[in-house]
Amino acid sequence: MEIGKGKILIPDRIAQGDVIRVQAVVQHPMDTGFFRDANANMIPPYFMKDVTVTYGEAEVARFEWTSGVSKDPMIAFPLRADREAPLIFTYKDNRGTSYQISVPIAFQTG
Amino acid sequence: MDEQIEPGRRAFLQVVGAAGAALMLEGIRGAARPLAARVVRGPDEPEAPNEEVAKILKDRFGDRTIQRGHVTLDMAASTEDGRFVPVSLESDLPMSAERYVKGVYFIIDHNPDPLVFAMHLTPQIGPLAVQTRVKMRRTSWIRAIVETSDGELWADYAKVETSLNGCG
Repeated sequence: MEIGKGKILIPDRIAQGDVIRVQAVVQHPMDTGFFRDANANMIPPYFMKDVTVTYGEAEVARFEWTSGVSKDPMIAFPLRADREAPLIFTYKDNRGTSYQISVPIAFQTG
Repeated sequence: MDEQIEPGRRAFLQVVGAAGAALMLEGIRGAARPLAARVVRGPDEPEAPNEEVAKILKDRFGDRTIQRGHVTLDMAASTEDGRFVPVSLESDLPMSAERYVKGVYFIIDHNPDPLVFAMHLTPQIGPLAVQTRVKMRRTSWIRAIVETSDGELWADYAKVETSLNGCG
């Protein structure tokens, strides 16, 4: 696992004004802090806790997460694709580390 | 006002199922009393919030009423693996600049941390349809509550059984 790596899936062809489905997956163990490792040591809580989604300059969504979100968190939601701009997910985990994944929203021409 | 209209397949099936069961009973008893008297509390109503859930509801929503409707929480009635429980959540509420869903709150009553996730949204997000995966410690009622930009609260509920503890 490479923590913080991930991808954002969007449709191949997007026309201006489409409501598209955005699906983002990021690699993270999302440890709850309640499990033990093979040596019976507690595995401390370690999870993505804050996600912001920006589209161009605008913040369009923000998520509060807990360790109750499954390992390698996936979230899918609709987005009004009304301009060409990067869609950026910024994940912050409970240790304060930030990770960014982005995809350009671009319209089909011709 | 349209909040009396109960959306959703589950609600429909519940009513049909309850009526069917009641009719069977009537047949057995041969009595003829109104059906409605016994269809008071369906299997679709969540249990009373536990202390922790009540605190979350109070902190996030104060004393505002949470009405049922305009949200459809689609989850399997039972799941084997509490580590990966698929969630699908939809709403027919508008997502326009004037009025939109500004918050989504997903609560699993019997999880160690019941407010599993919250979403803060803008009208740039289209008509609400969210999919994700969550963990469950044990069988629990689940609450999907949405908050509109003008302060209304709408919800749907589901009871999901699980055998494998996904939370530790």
